[in-house]
Amino acid sequence: MKFWEIFRFEFRYQLRHVSTWLLFAVFLLFGFVVLRIVTLADNTYLNAPSTIAFFTVFGSAIWVMISGVVAGDAATRDRQTRMHPLTYTTPLSKLSYLGARFLAALALNASMLLMLYAGFLLSFYGPGAKTQYIGAFRLGSYLTNFCFLALPTVIAATAVQFSAAALSGRAIAGYIASIAIIIFSQFGGTTVRYMLGWKVLGSLMDLLGTSVVAEMEGWTPIDKNTRLIVLEGTWLWNRLVWFCISIGALTYTYFRFRLAHIISKSGLSGLFTRRSDAVRSASPSASAPCLTACNATSATEVPGIRGSFVPSTYVRQVLAVAGASFRSVAMSRGGLTLIAALAIGTGLFAAEYMEFYGVPLLARTQEVLRGLTPPLSSYQTQWIIIPLLTILYAGELVWREREAGLHELTDTTPVPEWVMFLGKFTGLALVVTTWVAFLLVAGIINQLVMDYYHFEIGVYLKALFGIQLTDYLLFALLVLVIHVLVNQKYLGHMVAFCVYGFILFSSRLGVEHNMLVYGSDTGWAYSDMAGFGPLIKPWLSFKLYWAAWAFLLGVVATLFWVRSKEGGFSTRFHLAQHRFPKHKVTLPIAMALVLVSVGFIFYNTNILNNYTSTADRMGMRAEYERRYGQYENIPQPALVSTKLQVEIYPDDHAAAIQGRYQLVNRSKAPIDSIHLSTIPHLGISGITFDRAASPVVLDDHLGYRIYTLKKRLAPGDSLQMSFSVQIKPRGFSNEGVDASIVANGSYIESDWMPVIGYNGDRRLREARDRERYGLAPRQARPSLDDMAARYDARHAEHMDFEAVIGTSKGQVAVAPGVLRRTWTKGGRRYFHYATDAPILNEYAFFSANYAVREAQWVPQPSRTKLIQVPERTAKPVTIQIFYHPAHDTNIERMVKSAQASLDYYTREFGAYPYSHFRVLERPGPGRGMHAAPMTIDYQEGYSLMNPKPAGLDLPYHIMAHEVAHQWWGFYLSPAAVEGSGLLVESLATYAAMQVVEETLGYEHLLLYLSQMREEYEVPRSRAAPPLLRANNRFMNYRKGPFALFALRHYIGKDKVNNALRGLLRDYTPSPPLPTTLDLYQELQTQTPDSLHYLLRDLFEQNTFWELETEQVTAKQTKAGSWEVTLDVQARKVVVDSAGTETLIPLDDWVEIGVYATTAEGEALEKTLYLQKHRLKSAKQRITVTVPYEPARAGIDPNHLLIDLNMTDNMEEVKVAR
Amino acid sequence: MKLEIKNISKTYPNGIQALKDVTLSIPNGMYGLLGPNGAGKSTLMRILATLQEPDKGSIHLGELDIVRQKEEVRQTLGYLPQEFGLYPRASAEELLDHFAVLKGITNRASRKEVVAGLLRQTNLWDKRKQRLGGYSGGMRQRFGVAVALLGNPKLLIVDEPTAGLDPAERVRFLNLLSELGERSVVILSTHIVEDVSELCTNMAIINKGEILLEAQPLQAMAALKGRIWRKLIERNTLPYLEQVHQVISTKLLSGRTMVHIYSEEVPGKGFEPVEPDLEDVYFSTMAGYYSAHTEQEVAL
Repeated sequence: MKFWEIFRFEFRYQLRHVSTWLLFAVFLLFGFVVLRIVTLADNTYLNAPSTIAFFTVFGSAIWVMISGVVAGDAATRDRQTRMHPLTYTTPLSKLSYLGARFLAALALNASMLLMLYAGFLLSFYGPGAKTQYIGAFRLGSYLTNFCFLALPTVIAATAVQFSAAALSGRAIAGYIASIAIIIFSQFGGTTVRYMLGWKVLGSLMDLLGTSVVAEMEGWTPIDKNTRLIVLEGTWLWNRLVWFCISIGALTYTYFRFRLAHIISKSGLSGLFTRRSDAVRSASPSASAPCLTACNATSATEVPGIRGSFVPSTYVRQVLAVAGASFRSVAMSRGGLTLIAALAIGTGLFAAEYMEFYGVPLLARTQEVLRGLTPPLSSYQTQWIIIPLLTILYAGELVWREREAGLHELTDTTPVPEWVMFLGKFTGLALVVTTWVAFLLVAGIINQLVMDYYHFEIGVYLKALFGIQLTDYLLFALLVLVIHVLVNQKYLGHMVAFCVYGFILFSSRLGVEHNMLVYGSDTGWAYSDMAGFGPLIKPWLSFKLYWAAWAFLLGVVATLFWVRSKEGGFSTRFHLAQHRFPKHKVTLPIAMALVLVSVGFIFYNTNILNNYTSTADRMGMRAEYERRYGQYENIPQPALVSTKLQVEIYPDDHAAAIQGRYQLVNRSKAPIDSIHLSTIPHLGISGITFDRAASPVVLDDHLGYRIYTLKKRLAPGDSLQMSFSVQIKPRGFSNEGVDASIVANGSYIESDWMPVIGYNGDRRLREARDRERYGLAPRQARPSLDDMAARYDARHAEHMDFEAVIGTSKGQVAVAPGVLRRTWTKGGRRYFHYATDAPILNEYAFFSANYAVREAQWVPQPSRTKLIQVPERTAKPVTIQIFYHPAHDTNIERMVKSAQASLDYYTREFGAYPYSHFRVLERPGPGRGMHAAPMTIDYQEGYSLMNPKPAGLDLPYHIMAHEVAHQWWGFYLSPAAVEGSGLLVESLATYAAMQVVEETLGYEHLLLYLSQMREEYEVPRSRAAPPLLRANNRFMNYRKGPFALFALRHYIGKDKVNNALRGLLRDYTPSPPLPTTLDLYQELQTQTPDSLHYLLRDLFEQNTFWELETEQVTAKQTKAGSWEVTLDVQARKVVVDSAGTETLIPLDDWVEIGVYATTAEGEALEKTLYLQKHRLKSAKQRITVTVPYEPARAGIDPNHLLIDLNMTDNMEEVKVAR
Repeated sequence: MKLEIKNISKTYPNGIQALKDVTLSIPNGMYGLLGPNGAGKSTLMRILATLQEPDKGSIHLGELDIVRQKEEVRQTLGYLPQEFGLYPRASAEELLDHFAVLKGITNRASRKEVVAGLLRQTNLWDKRKQRLGGYSGGMRQRFGVAVALLGNPKLLIVDEPTAGLDPAERVRFLNLLSELGERSVVILSTHIVEDVSELCTNMAIINKGEILLEAQPLQAMAALKGRIWRKLIERNTLPYLEQVHQVISTKLLSGRTMVHIYSEEVPGKGFEPVEPDLEDVYFSTMAGYYSAHTEQEVAL
């Protein structure tokens, strides 16, 4: 009865709070809006169980963040209101008191998530619903998600929040507990799961269900639409663990909590408390009263010093308030220690995440900084804790005096409001500055742990204290103002969290202009080569703009600062009016600053530059297709020669390009007009032809031009076109400044130049995008069976290339071709390049202060004479590596890899056509390389790889892969249809694997493969097209090479290479271009009929093997040899693109291997037996005889066949004595 | 210097009118504001302490307009609220020093001097290093006085300072206050009559937001002379007595009831005249038998 009364009273009391209803409204609205604006992957429904699960997890994350007040309030209201002497002395048991309060909080919290579901339903079935994306109603979708995802989360989080609050006696502990949960469960969980690789522990730590959502990535569309979340496996354990944590927390609270007067705190409860307590009205341990009639006052004369109120007094007061504020945060337990601990942890665990596919990275400051300086709008970082704590402590500081009950004392002191505001802000700023100093410590520890001793303190100071601190301070000011204006602590927190949420998700809400998202900017990056680059100017402009806003907000907060009993709106407005005369100068100044900076930014982003949102750009692409798509297949002349005069001005971030194209009509009909696609709004001018032509369409907005030729271009005839392109930033746009041309490390791609004809690459590819913008459905990539597409050979056409590049005096400029001449003129350096063999129309210019490593490679006689080799290439090839002088770690292995690759590929695939092979570094964090004809470029991130002596040499492999593109991609350009990635990327990877095997050894190759197989562990849907229609990264870079590697073990290396050579032999750049079908045919020719089934499984259909060794026994024969018996299980499944699985009978050759224990000093196990056996579906027993005692044995030990579960292939051998 | 309060009214958003057209003139020295709980004392005090806005009326301290020139007023204001908390982890010396800066005493040496002086004066010197969390009610109250006295205020507002103090602490506290009246305007609000009678040279009685009486205690007591009578009765005869006489107060005495009545004539059998004390003034005023008006009559 009492229990019920307490529950009822609590529930109804909280329903009286505005904040409770606001929370309800927030979740209803979130549920409704988010499912209206979300765009899902194709073929999944909005009300699919997986979608609901995703947004349940998302919603619970928000819930954990903003609703700590409910449990906090329920647990502590009596003490906060100091009513506890009344309630604690009533005859009620601790169990019913705590239990009922907890259950009331739980009921309220659960209701909030029910509101989320109400929002979902409203979104699905309310007015304006997108019915075409809504499947049949299914109660189970809602029930399972609510009961297995949302409810357990709510129970556990409420229990932890309630316990923290009850034990510390402060409602705010509920919030701190929420933040702790998020940090522990989300960032801790993901770190443990992905960075440290402890999957089970990481999954158990995950309270919200992000691991479940991550697993769903691996679901097929059918799964996503139908499969319900169920309690099984790790997830069952997860829910049990969190249930136990809840029970544990509540039990602990039950035993620790006392219905008694609270004197001092200790133990766990103190963890969430500030060290300073709230008001204590009664005297806990008063000194003994003085009963003698002693005089309370002594005769001391107090000097009658009056305060002086001069400007310096206010400065002193600001510092006093700041110091007191800083101390109050610094002395609270979480104030500095949380960030300090996180910083130290981040530094110490550096080795766990500063790696790339198992290769350690150099802890260069530029790389370390990337982890330490996430933008404010990033939520995928552990440093999200800084804004969260800022919100929390801003609230604490604003409410400090009022919560301690001495606000009437401070409010009547002669301290102006602006001093109070500025003092508190300065105090908060000091706290934030200390946190940022911890970031610096984290960086230094990180570098020490990684044995990197080049500490660039100057760069740290600029990036952390110049840039990052500015962002945090702007944010701190905003939340401080919010707390002042809202003037209700929990409401203030909610508003601040919502505003922060807006900053985090503004782009998803469609708000993209940086002027509209508080504190945002155009981004920045630091690179060793380019420094802070041209992006720093727009960054600074935006920060000045936001500083002006911050100043205005500060003035407004000062006007509305509450320092009286009444917080009513009219009183505050009235007071603000009274105070206004004192701010009649600052307020207009602040407004003027805002106006001026608004004008300045707007002038730059919207007038000097064309402001376009993502939707605008999609719209432009759609419009481009709608208007000019009709010209997609009209005959256009081929580009046979490009001559360019390029002037690069690194310090001005500008370039001027004069170009001349030679165009030849290779079609059979005369051509009457020239079509050009250009970058929209790029300064392109001076387009002239060497014959009379008149413009018909000049569309600079969409970037399309048509010129009609007076005299038609006859077949075989040619014409010249001249143009000039100006690259010069006009102020800055909403994206900042194009960083192609920087002080050091300029990189100008051929994309800047006009393209002949309609540019199909601009097409919208996603089906839903096309639908939204009113375009007819079209496959993302032409079908493999599309014969017409094989005749689109524009990308395979070769041209001659010549360029003269001028750059500033100290720099080296590079373009494709042989360097003919360099000279200096007018204080600038010029370089003249010309190709000695034609290249594809894909090139780039580089200019930087490079160091150069040069090496020669002398060709061996080629085994095949497939490629038409110009005579000169019989001479040695000059290998040149242009690199940033400090980034020299990998240069030698790059040279070796390039030499070995050229060696192997010329021997196996044919001659290398050029006399030069160049590799260039450019600014940026990317770890990969990018190949163009005779030129490879890489971002600075590649140079960070620092392979261990016996470890995987990934830079070597990447280099070999890119060299292979000179054959696979540039010599042979496949038709742009499904599966082209197989011919380019898979073949390059497979070729590079051969180089690695030949030079670094087979063991090293296995190391590489096992690293590549880790990608299997990323959840991925089994639903996929067959390899011949490969359409994604995974298929191109993993499945394709694996399939070729498997095939090589069945038919032999030479046979596979024969097939590849066959492909090259038959290739010409004139259409029809080859497809994967041609490769397949070559492979079929090389493969004996008995293994054609394997080709089919690997390439023609999406096959998965499920191979498992159940047990292995061995016994010694009388002869001394060992008889090994394996019980194995084998199945084969074909999965189609929609996810339908079909079991097909298995009658395959599969390797069976038996291994002895690893001998001392040997990396690989000693192979006792490795033979292919013909296996059937189902369980079977295999017996083999080996000469020595076996240790491990199993089926498909080298993982040749695609089996997602690789752990059950091998078993320990049980020896029967 | 004089504090002039003219026609102050204040109504809370919930409709309760806390002050109705209050006008007072408060000279230098101790001024007592006497009234029952809920009479509007604290509202008036907070308005004087710049923490609340009156709806109507004006308040001037000498030349200063308290409603509009809050900041200037605060430079010369000392305020001891009825209820306040302290940072329990701070020591008295630390916190007082902090307040000294807030009160504009920025010179380190003079601040030290003032803080030490005030701690001595409020007898907290020996406990200056002790954390405020361990202070007794009286010590906290004295600490509050020390804060209020910082910066040598010309206007000192003390709201219900003796509530909750034990008798010894109360004596000590009043002694402390009595010294202050010599220098500035000190307004003491209380519902305890003795506080006023012991300390104040001027006083006002307030009830339901209205000033019922503005007087000097001694004069007011003199004016009542011969009009207060008392009688010891059985409790059950009280209703009858109330019908016949103007009862101003009743008090239990050894299980019987001592009744004070107001009567300008001899009330009859069993009543004996009483030398009126301030309590009689207070109760007569509250009961409506004595007012500024009657006082004037007497003065005439």
